[in-house]
Amino acid sequence: MPALHELQRCFVAAVLDGDSDGFEPHVRAAGWSGARRVQVYRNNTRLGLTGALEAVYPVVRRLVGEGFFCYAAAEYIDRHPSRSGDLHEYGGALPEFLESFEPAAGLAYLPDVARLEWSYHQVFHAARHAPLDPQALAKVPAARQGELRFRLHPAARLLESPFPILRIWQGNQEDASQTASVDLSEGGVKLLVFRHETLDIEFQPLQDGEFHLLRAFAEDCDFAAACARAMAAQADFDLPARFCRQVAQGVVTAFDLLDAHFPTTDRGEFP
Amino acid sequence: MSAKPATSWLGPSSIPVRAGIGLRAEHYDAVLETRPPVGWLEVHSENYFGAGGKPLDYLERIRAHYPLSLHGVGLSVGSTDPLDKLHLTKLKHLIERFEPALVSEHLSWGSAGGRYLNDLLPLPYTQEALYHLVARVSQVQDILGRPILIENVSSYLQYVESSLSEWDFLAELAERAGCGVLLDVNNIYVSARNHGFDPSTYLQAIPRHAVQEIHLAGFTVNRFDDGEILIDTHNRPVYPAVWALYRQAVHRFGPIPTLIEWDSDLPELAVLVGEAQQADAILEERHARAA
Repeated sequence: MPALHELQRCFVAAVLDGDSDGFEPHVRAAGWSGARRVQVYRNNTRLGLTGALEAVYPVVRRLVGEGFFCYAAAEYIDRHPSRSGDLHEYGGALPEFLESFEPAAGLAYLPDVARLEWSYHQVFHAARHAPLDPQALAKVPAARQGELRFRLHPAARLLESPFPILRIWQGNQEDASQTASVDLSEGGVKLLVFRHETLDIEFQPLQDGEFHLLRAFAEDCDFAAACARAMAAQADFDLPARFCRQVAQGVVTAFDLLDAHFPTTDRGEFP
Repeated sequence: MSAKPATSWLGPSSIPVRAGIGLRAEHYDAVLETRPPVGWLEVHSENYFGAGGKPLDYLERIRAHYPLSLHGVGLSVGSTDPLDKLHLTKLKHLIERFEPALVSEHLSWGSAGGRYLNDLLPLPYTQEALYHLVARVSQVQDILGRPILIENVSSYLQYVESSLSEWDFLAELAERAGCGVLLDVNNIYVSARNHGFDPSTYLQAIPRHAVQEIHLAGFTVNRFDDGEILIDTHNRPVYPAVWALYRQAVHRFGPIPTLIEWDSDLPELAVLVGEAQQADAILEERHARAA
């Protein structure tokens, strides 16, 4: 008699790889063949995983249509099996998959729209975080401000695309009466995806300076290097005003100074 | 009816012997605004595994008004893959935060070799599988520090290797692992029709004291030229034949907290509340007879 793990391995191979020769002999063929009974589980799995992708990528689905989406999802499921019992974790590789998915090659903006939707999904479920403590910041000596490493809120993501993905996203919401036509030649966008303390999620288009400042923080640059990058990206960048705005709206939440006298100022995540 | 349930600072802490409903995101606002007269609520644990955000925020506000049950669909208790400790840690944190009266999972498995089907797959009912399930359920209960309930699933195939019936397997598991049984009456009906057994036999084999919760839901019939198969879809009202089997279950097990599950093609909240009231009426009849 095959061991439990062997039966389970054959079951999964029958459902995911279409290789049911090893499994069908273990299925009691009462009325219906083993092949048809396995097919029920194949359908359930495909419907369940496709449903998980649809929940995260409604705009991609609307852009390509239901039929094409289901076809692309089936290919994706073949190449990227689920690795977690929590379906909310499924689908993170869809943007990269779409980049190399030949039938979607005509829609060059599609992978970036998918990136926007995955960022939204991540931000939706991210932790809350206390705002930056201004008193702690005031205590840092002016001479050492350049060494500060600022941290971004767990519910903040930065995205850059050569396509107008925000306009595409906005024009393809479920409540949009008809799909808005977006002129691809209107150009790209740099975006901050941020969930406010109210839990509402906002897409903020950023100018070059502000985008590079925040991205430098996300990449763990110190403040001096981050400022240099921002000014190099945009000569007229109003750094003090934009930095204060991001602190005020809670995007910048904490800072580290690599110094025993200034331990982390992070006031912490909370669920 | 039972006395007013005890209340912790979170909200009511024990589940009354009444009907409850499955809480889904589409109904969050309606539940908060209308406070429907249902005894308790059940959620899928994995829907609250995120680090933060709206799902947890809503659950906290709704929890203040209703007793809660956490129902897992993704732990893959019956799999021979290693138990997912991160999954269990998230579940444990959720239990600590929301203090549910009941925590449940399924008599099923979902992954092999690290690949998940994210489905409730049937087990072969063998001695080997029984030992495995007893060990896994015990391990889960040790880590969570509390007993859990295990629910029977709908199935569409049976194994040649099975040497026990599902009902004997479940009864033995409850006995040996010390877990409770979440009896899904709809799943018994669906599997009975798919495999041709008498659902009453199932009810008779489950020990009276083991059953702590009952599930009711709707199924879908897929018809073909050479027969039909019932699929557990949770997308329509409870069938009359399942209500009849529920009456039998309540007759055997006594009044038990009963949940109306509805997971896709969700109707207005009032439809679920109406289904719960039907279950309440059957529970009341049994209470009256016992009095």
